[in-house]
Amino acid sequence: MEQLFYYLKVSWFSVKRAPLPYMLTVLILSLGLGVFFSNATFYYRINSDPLPAKSDKLFFPMMLLVPYQCSNCKPPSVLSYSNIAKLNASDIPSAKAAMYSAGGYLRLNSEQAPTPVNVRITQRDFFSMFDVPMLHGSIWPDNQARDEVLLSKATAEKLFGRTNVTGQQVLLDDRLFTVIGVLDQWQMLPRLYDAFNRNYLNPTEDIYLPLESGYDYNYLSNTNSSTFEDADYRKLATDGRTKAIHQLQYWVQLDTLAQQNAYRQFMANLVADEKAAGRHPSAEANQLVMMRDIVSYFDGESGDIKAFAIVTLLFLLVCVFNASHLSLNRYLSNQYEFSLRRALGANRSQLQVQLLVDMGLMSTFTLTGAAIIAYGGIKLMNYLWPANSLFASWDLQLMLALAALTLLCSYLVTLYPSLRASFGSLNKQLKE
Amino acid sequence: MITLTNLGKIFRTELIETHALRDVNLQVNEGEFAALTGPSGSGKSTLLNILGTLESFDSGDYQLDGKSVKGLSDAALSKLRNEKIGFIFQSFNLIKDFSIYDNIELPLRYRGLNAAARKQRIEQALELVGLHARRDYLPGQLSGGQQQRVAIARAIAGEPRILLADEPTGNLDSLMARQVMELLEQINRQGCTILMVTHDPDQARRAGRNIQIIDGQLHDSTLYDPLAQHTA
Repeated sequence: MEQLFYYLKVSWFSVKRAPLPYMLTVLILSLGLGVFFSNATFYYRINSDPLPAKSDKLFFPMMLLVPYQCSNCKPPSVLSYSNIAKLNASDIPSAKAAMYSAGGYLRLNSEQAPTPVNVRITQRDFFSMFDVPMLHGSIWPDNQARDEVLLSKATAEKLFGRTNVTGQQVLLDDRLFTVIGVLDQWQMLPRLYDAFNRNYLNPTEDIYLPLESGYDYNYLSNTNSSTFEDADYRKLATDGRTKAIHQLQYWVQLDTLAQQNAYRQFMANLVADEKAAGRHPSAEANQLVMMRDIVSYFDGESGDIKAFAIVTLLFLLVCVFNASHLSLNRYLSNQYEFSLRRALGANRSQLQVQLLVDMGLMSTFTLTGAAIIAYGGIKLMNYLWPANSLFASWDLQLMLALAALTLLCSYLVTLYPSLRASFGSLNKQLKE
Repeated sequence: MITLTNLGKIFRTELIETHALRDVNLQVNEGEFAALTGPSGSGKSTLLNILGTLESFDSGDYQLDGKSVKGLSDAALSKLRNEKIGFIFQSFNLIKDFSIYDNIELPLRYRGLNAAARKQRIEQALELVGLHARRDYLPGQLSGGQQQRVAIARAIAGEPRILLADEPTGNLDSLMARQVMELLEQINRQGCTILMVTHDPDQARRAGRNIQIIDGQLHDSTLYDPLAQHTA
């Protein structure tokens, strides 16, 4: 420990000897790392796995069931109510839920001004499949239509000023609903259950309504709906249930490989039955996409963030190169001291330990500078792209990764100069 | 103690080869005080650097205490420098922002001595060079002669068996040069072998032996009797 303090003292004297080049080196490196950290934070969040224990067990089935010939057609990303009814007939999945999102207006009473809300219209397994935490109350006991809703914690606080509001009534689009549960703080990032059209970047919904009630009250999907026959999409309660109005996302939980294979076969049988009944002349084009692959399946990866990540990485490399150049000058001006230490008995390994301590000191300053710049960068990005602001938080894992990157960059910055310095000609330096 | 056999050193550039040392044969015994003299560029400093293992040689052999230094690893050479050899440079080579104490401590740090052992050796060395009261000064606060005495203290703090001095009085006035020479003689009397590069014939005469180098070759190796010189 005493020797470590000695090495730190030597490093500090070296900094004091030429503070300006040192500060410039740290600043350049901090700038490169800070800009990279800002972008890496978004990139890491957007590409992170929100349910690492389950993401290989949750699947998004898609089927192409059309009454006309269609070659090389991909199945639509949403299913019709009747498709869902057929898929729901299977007992293979451990859990299954159909869902879509809609917009609505919420208030406590008719005197109050309505607040626009995002509504997730779904079935009871949604909450267990996506590990949604409950704060108060419970979820629906079954998938029947009922005038009961669940609120997000933020919505309950906003509407009632408190969270324990189970049993209270709210007006959703001027229909009376009873609150049966309030979710705990929950923000699935990214929100992969709604991956189509890059919706996974959006925040989770404010209010949750049973699927059957959503159809009864003609709540239209606000993201994706289509039909290929004469159907009135505003009449969900009737046409929505009987005709080919496609607007439902569907998720199933298949825990084992056997379940997954069985479910694929079930889907194939289902299509074969439709073909046999003459309702589907095209070839089978079923898809069963794992949750962790859903974004790439929909080509939903954020191109601009990816491009920006590459640019910031290149910028970091330029900064490392420049910092290395500055560092080289600093070490060469200190080479005389290296030579002296070697002449007096320090071997190269001992000099390398000294340089590692130099690196540690530089990393500490650089990490502090980079964190400040990254924080500023994130604030700026939130200001410029408010939709992405959900992805701006740091966790321990990310911080450790950033600290490791700082160490690596500091090492690269000191590596070549230190090798140059410690392999220099001893006698020449000491004679000058 | 030191045995050089047909030692040669060549400096090469893209265009020319310079034979800095040719077939140097030399024996230096324990306790000797030898001066290395010769014109500028004759190879004195090169020889001293090779003796201090600061520079490699191209041919021949160099044995220290009966063991060849040829082919020793960086770690072994560093250990040898640290434990057996002390260096005194013309330009003192003190670290300007380290205190006198810290400068003298430098070689002891790399020997792995504990703080108490280091302190004892540093204080002994400071006593010997008469700078104990200035242990917390910075080198810039001392005169040239005092700085060279600090460098000598640093060289002897590790109790080396050989002291290599490259023009130790070259940057000093005559009074300070005399004080430094007296100090070196005192250290030599305590049993330390000293090899000193010098241009000064008087200093060469004060050493027990004068080794002359001309054009990289050992021309003369005369043993002077200092007493005879003084009485002459």
